[in-house]
Amino acid sequence: MGFILRRLVFYFGAFLVAVVINFFLPRMMPGDPVDAMLAQGARFTAEQIANLRLTFGVDQPLYQQFFTYLGDVFTLELGNSTFFSNMPVAEVLGNAFWWTLFLTGTATVLAFIFGATLGIVAAWYRGGKFDSFASPLSLVLQATPQLVFGIVVLFSLGVTWDLIPISYAYDPELTPTFSWEFIKNVLHHSIGPIFCIFIVQLGGFLVPMRNNMINLLNEDYITMGKAKGLSNTRVMLNYGARNAILPSVTALSMALGFVVGGALVVEVIFNYQGLGSVLYNAIINRDYQLIQGQLLIMTVFMLAFNFLADVLYVFLDPRLRKGGK
Amino acid sequence: MSVNQANASVHDKSEVQLSVRNLCVDYITANGDVRAVNNVSFDIGRGEVFGLAGESGCGKSTVAFSVCRLHKPPAFISGGEIIFNGRDILKFDDEQLRQYRWKESAMVFQSAMNSLNPVLTLEEQFCDVLLAHTNMTRQECIKRAGQLLEVVDIHPSRLSDYPHQFSGGMRQRLVIAIALALNAKLIIMDEPTTALDVVVQREILQKIYQLKEEFGFSILFITHDISLMVEFCDRIGIMYAGELAEVAPAKNILTKPNHPYTEGLGNAFPPLHGEKKRLVGIPGTPLNLFEVPVGCRFQARCPYVKDVCRKEYCTLTEIAPGEFSACHLHKDGVVDIKSLEQQPVQG
Repeated sequence: MGFILRRLVFYFGAFLVAVVINFFLPRMMPGDPVDAMLAQGARFTAEQIANLRLTFGVDQPLYQQFFTYLGDVFTLELGNSTFFSNMPVAEVLGNAFWWTLFLTGTATVLAFIFGATLGIVAAWYRGGKFDSFASPLSLVLQATPQLVFGIVVLFSLGVTWDLIPISYAYDPELTPTFSWEFIKNVLHHSIGPIFCIFIVQLGGFLVPMRNNMINLLNEDYITMGKAKGLSNTRVMLNYGARNAILPSVTALSMALGFVVGGALVVEVIFNYQGLGSVLYNAIINRDYQLIQGQLLIMTVFMLAFNFLADVLYVFLDPRLRKGGK
Repeated sequence: MSVNQANASVHDKSEVQLSVRNLCVDYITANGDVRAVNNVSFDIGRGEVFGLAGESGCGKSTVAFSVCRLHKPPAFISGGEIIFNGRDILKFDDEQLRQYRWKESAMVFQSAMNSLNPVLTLEEQFCDVLLAHTNMTRQECIKRAGQLLEVVDIHPSRLSDYPHQFSGGMRQRLVIAIALALNAKLIIMDEPTTALDVVVQREILQKIYQLKEEFGFSILFITHDISLMVEFCDRIGIMYAGELAEVAPAKNILTKPNHPYTEGLGNAFPPLHGEKKRLVGIPGTPLNLFEVPVGCRFQARCPYVKDVCRKEYCTLTEIAPGEFSACHLHKDGVVDIKSLEQQPVQG
């Protein structure tokens, strides 16, 4: 498969570029981690400060730091976090990763399934009751910041009516096990944040799907599908949606690529221990190693899902296949 | 307008496959409704090739779409009857209509090149129509699809290919093969060869003709290429501005036109044989359907226009056995239009 190999080489190049940017971006911020510790009121002697700088490696010239970093990236040695009491970055991120993947991943996949389906229906019955209601509404939802949903859901469902927990991924007194009780607890905690991420993304899938589909419905093969006496459902799905979904697949993989970026705002509002919260804390505390580690995960994920989209696209659209099957 | 007057038929009732009666199709626009097809009536006999010719926008395709009830808003059929085998398809409910489509009347579209679904294999596109209308198993469908491909000279092994892997002419034949799948009694061909070069065009038309002889279906053939149509059709209807101007046997259309518009169309095509003649176009532009005049719709462009043409509407009338014309010239007996003196037209 020459195609897949070529894409892989391309994505590896993109990965290297991203690593370079990842390294230099946090270092363009004024101050360094030791400054941040001092700013938070830590008191050190000049000697201690020098020792800390030595430990963090910030006393070395930039290029030297960079090559050390590059070597570390490929050995997955991401350093230690300054903020999370010197835990290895890989461990901090590893803990948060699964929570974010669960939270944002579920919300994104749900948003895609519902958004695309509703978009198909809205386009098929264009100008009907559902379309005139759902399409403008989803635009409004899409334009509303997650912050607004987060706070509204938190205060209404969480505080006023006390229907959902307002903090954490599960009750702190529970130990994570594969028991039904624990899973129930996790699901209960996730309702609020998942809903907030879901509702904002919904319109992002509905509106483009609807527009694609409307354009496609004027194609001759749709008319021919109808003229063939096929059922409405078959024409709508196999002739319409099957073609209209192609651009949405790209949108989905982009969205999934962003998943590990975490829904920063929502995670912070619901105090959810995902990658979003980690990134937020890391930035506030100038935790270089952690920021770099987080950006690295985001890069890898984004590239991986783009690659997946490329492969999926070829699978879905026979016109992109070269030399037959 | 009485139904009998407009009954452009040369057949016994029992031999009529399709009978269109006073068909009207309207388009809803921001500036009001436009009648794109007005009071069109014609019959197609079993095994007959009936042609509809006319300028772009005169309503040919709109008529064709009506026969399968394929119009979608803003177009809708606002009046008339379409009798297929004795049943009015305009009265069909959704399920009856679904069963009627393709089983009774199949269609080859204007841009047959784009009428195949790009993401489904041909096998899938043959099978879905066969499965929707018959009790065949998937295996039988595939076998039938293979036979149909052979009919249009494409190797059955190509069933697993996608449309983009075929050339334009092949795609055209593929659509024709799909149209033959259910042995439909009527096949509507809406400019089936317009996008193709003349060599492929000839191949495809010969194929269609041969298949028609073999399977005995009727054809509603639509094109703006009059010379092609005269070769291919048994009878021809000439449309102008949404109305039938003339219906006559194909051989008469060029030699003995019964409507000034038909004569104009004929003059605009070079003859293959005989002396060289200067080609003459029809002056003026097609009628704007927002401003339909009182009287005849062709009056502004007609070289024989009389006072009566500007006052009285002229219905399609049988002026001689099998010859119908909507022209005031024939009021007092059939007139040979070709021999008349033309007057200049302000255009």
